[in-house]
Amino acid sequence: MNDSAIEITRLIRRYGKTEAVNGLSLTVRSGGCYGFFGRNGAGKTTTIKCLLNLLQPNSGTLRVFGLDPQKNEVAVKSRLGYVPDSVAFYPWMTVRDTLDYFASFRAQWNRDIEADLLRRFGLNPSQKTSALSKGQKTQLALISAICPEPELLVLDEPTSGLDPIVRREFIETVIGAYQSGDPEHRTVFVSTHLISEFEGLIDDFTIIEQGRESLTMRADDARDRFKKIQVRFSSVPAALDWTGALQVKQNGREVELLANGNSEQLLEMLRAHQPEELRCESLSLEEIFVSSKVLTQTAP
Amino acid sequence: MLLQIDFKTGKPVYRQLVDQIRYAAASGALRPGEPLPSIRPLAEELRLNRNTIAKAYTELESQGIIETIPGKGCFLKENNAHFTKDVRQKLLLKEIDEAVVTAHHLQVDRAAFLALVNERLDYFKQKAGLVREDNK
Repeated sequence: MNDSAIEITRLIRRYGKTEAVNGLSLTVRSGGCYGFFGRNGAGKTTTIKCLLNLLQPNSGTLRVFGLDPQKNEVAVKSRLGYVPDSVAFYPWMTVRDTLDYFASFRAQWNRDIEADLLRRFGLNPSQKTSALSKGQKTQLALISAICPEPELLVLDEPTSGLDPIVRREFIETVIGAYQSGDPEHRTVFVSTHLISEFEGLIDDFTIIEQGRESLTMRADDARDRFKKIQVRFSSVPAALDWTGALQVKQNGREVELLANGNSEQLLEMLRAHQPEELRCESLSLEEIFVSSKVLTQTAP
Repeated sequence: MLLQIDFKTGKPVYRQLVDQIRYAAASGALRPGEPLPSIRPLAEELRLNRNTIAKAYTELESQGIIETIPGKGCFLKENNAHFTKDVRQKLLLKEIDEAVVTAHHLQVDRAAFLALVNERLDYFKQKAGLVREDNK
């Protein structure tokens, strides 16, 4: 039994001369939820398409459940579910037809989950898919990804462009209907830039920048290591030494510092100067993503 | 018992759950024999990874605070202090240290700090008393 669901090693994929993915490596352990964060054009979708053998890498190795998706395409695909960023169905089929069509390719299909989710999302089985809204199409794609009860759920920007209620239901469904089935063997790999919504779900994450990983960490460790310190003095002492901080923003008597694992030392140093107010809080995953350029410059 | 997660504290999420449930047990918000929320609805409500909640419950179980009854769920144990006095005091030290450090930045002096501690002890004692009366 291989305990990593996905292993990517020095993946390179070019479009003409443009390197969309340029030496990416990451490992997703089985049973966890992995966040794959990056700006538009960072190489997220290209990476995911390589995992699904929709694109072939120029070099590097990919393993899904220990298998090469190029050589074992069916074996890999039969064990995963995928929700792409833009969903398209055959427009002449109804919701019912579409689900039956997908089910026909699958070894198993959980009818109870299907009925439960159709009810929860309020989807009408006899409606044509061409008449569905963007949110309803994503919901239908999620149902068809979850019903086969796959070991791996790959989500590519699943919630962008959806309204907040649909987004919330989407995430609750991933947690509830999908993850609860057999939690040890339910892995989620989600690419997104709407990070705060997935904050509670993410165990580990990789930030991808220009086709390469710029930061890979456990979410709890990251929140423990990267902190924002805000301090206000009655008058800013001249002898302060900021060199330990990643970033210093000063606005009159108020100063904001970013700490990388050294918040205790910085706090100690600031306290010695008797500040009027001193606050320290963790960066959220979204803030870590936004500041990742600064954070990774001096990361050990 | 209402649980709330704050990603800003830097405390691991499962730890926050463990601490809040222990607090609920100590303050009477959760009484011995009462069930803890089931993992799935709680995960959906807090929008947390279900593994995080399972980890918190496992930790609480190994601390002897809750017990799992197969097929029924997790319950607060009747007598949840099976540690030796020494161990129990050590567990407390870390939290006391945190409070002492915070008191120091906030320039709360020793006397005021101790007065606060006494006030809180009285508060919980009174609350527990009320809970017992409710049960009668």
